Amino acid sequence: MFALVDVNNMYVSCERVFRPALNGRPVVVLSSNDGACIARSNEAKDLGVRMAQPWFEVRHLEREAGLIALSANFELYGDMSSRMMALAAEYAPRQEIYSIDECFLDFEGVPGDLVAIGRDLRSKVLAWTGLPTSIGFGATKTLAKLANHVAKTADRKPGRYPPQYAQVCNFLDLSAEQLHAVLSAADVGDVWGIGRKTAPRLNEAGLRTVLDLLKADVPALRRQFGIVMEKTLRELRGTPCHVVDDAPQPNQQIMCSRSFGAPVTELPTLIEVVSQFVTQVARKLREQGSLAGGVQVFINTSPYRRQDRQHAPSATLRLGQATSDTRVLISAVVRVLRSIFRPGYNYAKAGVLLVDLQQASHEQSALDLFEPGPSPDAPERNRASLMSAMDALNDRFGRGAVTVASAARRPGPSAHASKQERRSPRFTTRLDEIAVARA
Amino acid sequence: MPRDRPGSAAPPRSSVAISFGSPATESGVGRLDLNEILVRHPQAAFMMRIAGDSMREAGVCDGDLALVDRALTAAHGHVVIAIVNDEFVCRRLVRRGQVVRLQSDGEAPPDRVPGEAEELQIWGVVTHVIRPLAA
Repeated sequence: MFALVDVNNMYVSCERVFRPALNGRPVVVLSSNDGACIARSNEAKDLGVRMAQPWFEVRHLEREAGLIALSANFELYGDMSSRMMALAAEYAPRQEIYSIDECFLDFEGVPGDLVAIGRDLRSKVLAWTGLPTSIGFGATKTLAKLANHVAKTADRKPGRYPPQYAQVCNFLDLSAEQLHAVLSAADVGDVWGIGRKTAPRLNEAGLRTVLDLLKADVPALRRQFGIVMEKTLRELRGTPCHVVDDAPQPNQQIMCSRSFGAPVTELPTLIEVVSQFVTQVARKLREQGSLAGGVQVFINTSPYRRQDRQHAPSATLRLGQATSDTRVLISAVVRVLRSIFRPGYNYAKAGVLLVDLQQASHEQSALDLFEPGPSPDAPERNRASLMSAMDALNDRFGRGAVTVASAARRPGPSAHASKQERRSPRFTTRLDEIAVARA
Repeated sequence: MPRDRPGSAAPPRSSVAISFGSPATESGVGRLDLNEILVRHPQAAFMMRIAGDSMREAGVCDGDLALVDRALTAAHGHVVIAIVNDEFVCRRLVRRGQVVRLQSDGEAPPDRVPGEAEELQIWGVVTHVIRPLAA
């Protein structure tokens, strides 16, 4: 028995907890360079703002419809997420945190009325954190996801599903007729694992609703759409194929990329940018106890600047020996960058991807210590302690306190700093940014 | 096994901290922790900065750091954070019969009586204020 708990319009809901004036108004949250809408309030959805739609396309709604756009405030969202997750975890023996705003709970062996438990969880999270959630229960993760979709949609769009399923919906409480009605009202695209590309192909084959899908011929679907589709179908029929994974796998790749505030044409600036990216991803790499076997670097011009000549190269370099040393990774990344950079282009974005990640065993770390490094000045055997000292200093004094020289910000306004012009205060993570109450 | 003491016959250890151990840790008792004392519901605990002196009588002063607990149900007599005209205000919650009001303890601003359309919105209960007395 699985539940899927997720926060409705997570980023917007976090903003509204601390900015009551945003309630009832159309709000979008923009990606890190204020480029695209990555979260929308229901009011913004009703204005027709699409997910991931570029901001410049909907900007006119600011004046015309009072649309409010905010820069993403990930410190706030991350902290609110950890509060919600901790509260949800109290309700079931196992929890899998699936993304910043949703988790699976495994209710196997939990006695009692699950809908009542779900309503209690929902009202507790709402009272304690201010975040509204939707909860779906089902015999499999795919069914719990679908029940969650029903719970959320019944709340937001009255008429599509019966109102008693709003906010908390348990498929196992439904009679055969009720379930039949729900499954014939749900689109195939509402099913977990059926993406934007697959749904139209299913529609072409005459399969529009989840009920159509359940009646379809499994071997034929498997031939056309592969083994993942077969798994999805089995899950929809109530046979669990996915378990709740409460020990998440380490990330298999780690990426950092960003669009620049202004076009970048100079190689030294790009070197500075990617070195900062490496500093961040290498730290994540060490935090999860992994080593990277290769680095991928990409830079690209802006497809929205049609007057510019376009150049979007990308290259990967395999490392002789997997490592988590910031200095080795930076030198590899800079080598790749030099090979793909061409003068005369207005670069708008750069990114670094660490690939071929492997667990750092003690043997590997020991070997790693004796691998010749890029810097003759630092004794190599001190590398691991140097890296952990760097992490500790950055913990204590803030990110960027200590860094490898090529990643150091040069004085003066930085061309590539994120715009972030509309970011709310970080109400829960910075003492000088907490909310003010008048007395 | 007896723990090492200065002057005991045990061989010298490289670290003083290890040889003395920590009695507190071993008996399962930790040093007093302000987080545990002040924060009953960590997932519902938030901080706000007080601006203004109308709650001075209640011991809440301009510049104070207010600890706010959203897990508590606001009751008569609580100092609360409420939402009035889309802003956070700190007031005392007063119930007289059926009427619930937000009241400042000082003289300055008048009591806030929510109109009929305006529902009283309580954001959280102020459990403590922190005020530095020396830098």
